[in-house]
Amino acid sequence: MSYASPLDKELRPLSAQQIPGDLFARLREENLARWPTGAEVDLDEAVEYHLSLPRHKRLPCVMRQAEAEGRCLTQPRGGFGTLELQIELMQILDRDGHADVVPTTTDSYTRNERWEQAEAGINESQKEGRSMLNGFPMVNYGPKRTRQLIEAIDKPAIVLSGTSMPRLTGEVGYAAGYTGYLGSGLAYVTSYTKEMTIEEGIRNYQYLDRLVALYAAKGVELHRRQPGFLTGTNIPPSIAIVTCVIDALLAAGQGVKSYGLEMGQTLHLIQDAAAIRACKELAQDYLARAGFGDVATPIISLHWMGAWPQDDAQCAALVAYGGTLAAIGGAASVTTKSTHEAFGIPTPQANAEGLRMTRMAIYLARQIRLDEHPEFLAEVDLIKREVRPILDATLEIGEGDVAVGTVRACEAGILDIPWSPNRQVKSRIMPARDVDGYLRILDPGDMPFDKQVLEIHTERLRRRAEREGVPLDRELAVSSVYEMSEPLSRLVPDLFTGK
Amino acid sequence: MTGHTLVTGVIGSDTHIVGNRILSMALEDAGYHVVALGALTPSEDFIKAAIETAADAIMVSSLYGQGELDCKGFRDLCIEAGLQDILLYVGGNLVVGKQDWDGVERRFLDMGFDRAFPPGTRTNDVIESLARDFAARAVDAGMADR
Repeated sequence: MSYASPLDKELRPLSAQQIPGDLFARLREENLARWPTGAEVDLDEAVEYHLSLPRHKRLPCVMRQAEAEGRCLTQPRGGFGTLELQIELMQILDRDGHADVVPTTTDSYTRNERWEQAEAGINESQKEGRSMLNGFPMVNYGPKRTRQLIEAIDKPAIVLSGTSMPRLTGEVGYAAGYTGYLGSGLAYVTSYTKEMTIEEGIRNYQYLDRLVALYAAKGVELHRRQPGFLTGTNIPPSIAIVTCVIDALLAAGQGVKSYGLEMGQTLHLIQDAAAIRACKELAQDYLARAGFGDVATPIISLHWMGAWPQDDAQCAALVAYGGTLAAIGGAASVTTKSTHEAFGIPTPQANAEGLRMTRMAIYLARQIRLDEHPEFLAEVDLIKREVRPILDATLEIGEGDVAVGTVRACEAGILDIPWSPNRQVKSRIMPARDVDGYLRILDPGDMPFDKQVLEIHTERLRRRAEREGVPLDRELAVSSVYEMSEPLSRLVPDLFTGK
Repeated sequence: MTGHTLVTGVIGSDTHIVGNRILSMALEDAGYHVVALGALTPSEDFIKAAIETAADAIMVSSLYGQGELDCKGFRDLCIEAGLQDILLYVGGNLVVGKQDWDGVERRFLDMGFDRAFPPGTRTNDVIESLARDFAARAVDAGMADR
């Protein structure tokens, strides 16, 4: 169930260097032959189409403009199993939801390159009259038919394909006229796969990033984006940022110039703002040091990625507050959810409502910023002190090559991801929420954090354990996983409880 | 130890591991022998593991909406493999979108699952159901007096 190009492995040792043009041409040929619609990908025709798109339908331009104006854009997720349903969905998100960026989420069979099963899912969906797939099977439809989606909206479109195997979906998506693609080697392999190696994931995304450089050489600027939300389960900002910077360095090595960094919200106003600030500064710092000072790295804030409450009203609060967190934190865009989150995939209408709730909250955030707030500044400083030793150790163990370093750092446990399904990751690091609602590190596993920094984390968690009268152990991490999905009666009990 | 062996995993192309891992930890704490297959587990692997470990129950998780497709024919596969009596649980976000739970539950029971659990089920509820179901089976098997 995991694809890695045999040719790639045979002809190129793993490295962060740009894939040579002649080798890349062979890799593309091999890749496009894997499913019939691959033959429809015509690079020159696609370039011509992209050049004909107005600026407001090009994601790199739109992200740049948002950053320049200090705007926070909105973007949902969304994908259904047939072209007809997907057109309707994207139009509703564009028009009723005022989405600034319109998504196409692919279904899970497509993400795992099980195109035969996706084909069956399309047929079942058509038979049942409802979507039996959890996204749009883009490869099955191919670039020509998928382009109807780009034509149906008046915004830039992004492919959301939570996959560590983006080679063919990326070719189809960009050829269809999408100007953005979410996904990265380190983040998705460690979050979405069980057996795939870190090396295979890096190679697969180097292909996609190299493809973006190929378009760039023909005058077409495309956006790439890193999913720093990882497993979506209480990811402390420092862990997210480590992966953001590593994947950004890998993408820059292939020639990407517009690279968004996604951060899942912790739901703590100060920690989220600090995370956005620290992520931006650290990414630019490490990119510049590697000779990539010209890469734009807008930050995208993501509505809560953990377990959601069942109550629509509680969900609405998370949605609106998510807009506040993104706007006050200074994110260039926010990725939205809806009141249906606890039950799975939202209807187009609920999805559009989530967008509008978020948009109103962004409006109300005005230009309020925490820039001088002492607790904010202290948290930015703390996050940077967490991130630097991990990144420096990763670069060091790779002897200057970030691709090699990443593989070795995962093996050594220098890099670790909480709640990872992947067998190559130790997944010993365990986060939990502290006494003030910040996400902290309960158990660092083998990650080489500074001792004093860890003491701060432990102290905050100990204070929570004391207040709740429970031991400082794994149960803190488990209860933190469920906290946000608990009913209000438990989160905020009545002031006078009767007896 | 309860003496019972359970196979857990997330079915199909689904990577949502967190709830399943917490459930597996809780089942172990409750005294079960747990064979945790993790995320992205094909139907066949559940059944293979159940045969190899002589499991008493298979606990299928699905969070991504395509569970309805993945779980079709699961009981038949068990029967073909000689596991006609194995206890089958399924739980999570089992279908695409917000659908009426009673209807969803009926669909999965019709597919041959012994119990289906809605989103947000806590581990204790599952542990209690298991205890009840195993006790009932012990009675059926005439082992109640031992």
